[in-house]
Amino acid sequence: MRSQLLFLVSLLLGGMPAVCVADSLPEPHVLIDEMSTASRSLNYDGVFVYTLGKQIDTMRIIHKAGNGYSYERLISLTGHAREVIRDKDQVRCYFPENKAVVVEKSRLGKLISTYLPNPIKSISDFYIFEIVGEDRIAGLDAWIINIRPIDKYRYGYQLWIDKNSRLLLKSELKNQLGVTLEQIMFTQLNVLDDIDDTLLEPSTAADGFTWYKNSPDESLNTNESEKQWKVTWMPAGFSMSEQSKEPMLTSQMPVDHLVYSDGLAMVSIYVEKLNQRPEMIVGASNFGGVNTYAVFAGEYQITAVGEVPKSTVKLMADSVKSYH
Amino acid sequence: MSEYNNEQLSALVDGEYEGNNDKAFEQLIHSQEMKNTWSRYHLIGDCLREQLPEKISVQLSSRISKALLDEPTVLAPQKTKQFNLKPLAGFAIAASVAMAAVFTVQQSNETNSISTVPALTASTSTAIPQTQTFSFPDAQVLPASVKKSDTPKEVANQRLNNYLMNHNEYRSNGSMNGILPYVRLVTIESQE
Repeated sequence: MRSQLLFLVSLLLGGMPAVCVADSLPEPHVLIDEMSTASRSLNYDGVFVYTLGKQIDTMRIIHKAGNGYSYERLISLTGHAREVIRDKDQVRCYFPENKAVVVEKSRLGKLISTYLPNPIKSISDFYIFEIVGEDRIAGLDAWIINIRPIDKYRYGYQLWIDKNSRLLLKSELKNQLGVTLEQIMFTQLNVLDDIDDTLLEPSTAADGFTWYKNSPDESLNTNESEKQWKVTWMPAGFSMSEQSKEPMLTSQMPVDHLVYSDGLAMVSIYVEKLNQRPEMIVGASNFGGVNTYAVFAGEYQITAVGEVPKSTVKLMADSVKSYH
Repeated sequence: MSEYNNEQLSALVDGEYEGNNDKAFEQLIHSQEMKNTWSRYHLIGDCLREQLPEKISVQLSSRISKALLDEPTVLAPQKTKQFNLKPLAGFAIAASVAMAAVFTVQQSNETNSISTVPALTASTSTAIPQTQTFSFPDAQVLPASVKKSDTPKEVANQRLNNYLMNHNEYRSNGSMNGILPYVRLVTIESQE
């Protein structure tokens, strides 16, 4: 009798739960792919808290999907009433405290198919993906996914994904010690059938505002004799994903821009010829999870910018070489 | 450990500490407790990254310290100066733009070759915006508050601002969370 009971118990403890877990626990890569799709294809309106060090801010995001494009409006609910509105062509940033609107080209439409490395499994060599638990955020049940880098050259992430809609409810960017550098957490999130277009209009009456627009000029890209640049050191798994010349508001000449990525982390390298010296910031600076590092190479300034540890931007900036 | 909590120490270990490094290290070397925590954090870090050697000597640091006591003092070379930029006051973003406008005007006057400068266009509109291309603004048009940054250092700051904004726009597409870069932009000012 006793042995029968034991057998029964061991069946319950050993066999049954294993079956249950296998059934209910999704594959982390699949979950992330689904999250990526959900964040683009659903209509939603939510409020979240953004934490950076001791600073806490609240924002509202409204997202409308349609015709292969996304429309987004981000409104600051604390401090200055700033707004960012993105559509398929442009990004408009309203700074009411300066009576200014900055307009940037949107890359949302262009790159929408490469939103995430496809399939995300291809980056598994450099990050370990794990579902580490369940939680409740904004009143919704969520899976917790931990993404841990295999080396010290990149940061880790922890993501909370809504079990139902697959939307991201909370995310943390973590350094190598597991310390959270910055964090976003929704306090309220509603998935809607439709979003009224008026909700995507700026609430800022931009009367008397100054508009600043950075418009690429084709004639800028024709100088053949200019130096070419490349990064000679980067962490394993990184490769160049884009190369361009960017017109910059503060620069007289277009700036060489090289983009490197391992599929999750991204580092930009900017190379700019300086006509007037000295106007330099050499060395490291950072904002939340973004680190920058600048060095000089002759009359050029090289700046690496990325969501990676300081040592990575430094090593990459130091490794930039020119060739003809 | 009185003045530094574990989180700050951890940031220091990780090269992410935002305060005065010299001061932090000064305190570190005078507190045995902090030193212990310091080495423990490094150990944790190595462990997390799976970079632990097969054998670890926990006594190594104290043996080295002891050996160092017998060494003559060597004056360390002056550290390379670093601007620990607290990026980009919100003001600075707009300022960078205004700055560029002013700068562009001067530049174009000098060289008389407007087509070679980046096509910055700015307009002050009283109606709803059309971000139309428009002639170079004169400085008077710009909001007074965004004109005061003319020093080379400000220019350098603004250049970095622009890099960050540009990177953000790329980032927002490659990211799992497209809006995060803009979240940074919206909150950027309180970092002052």
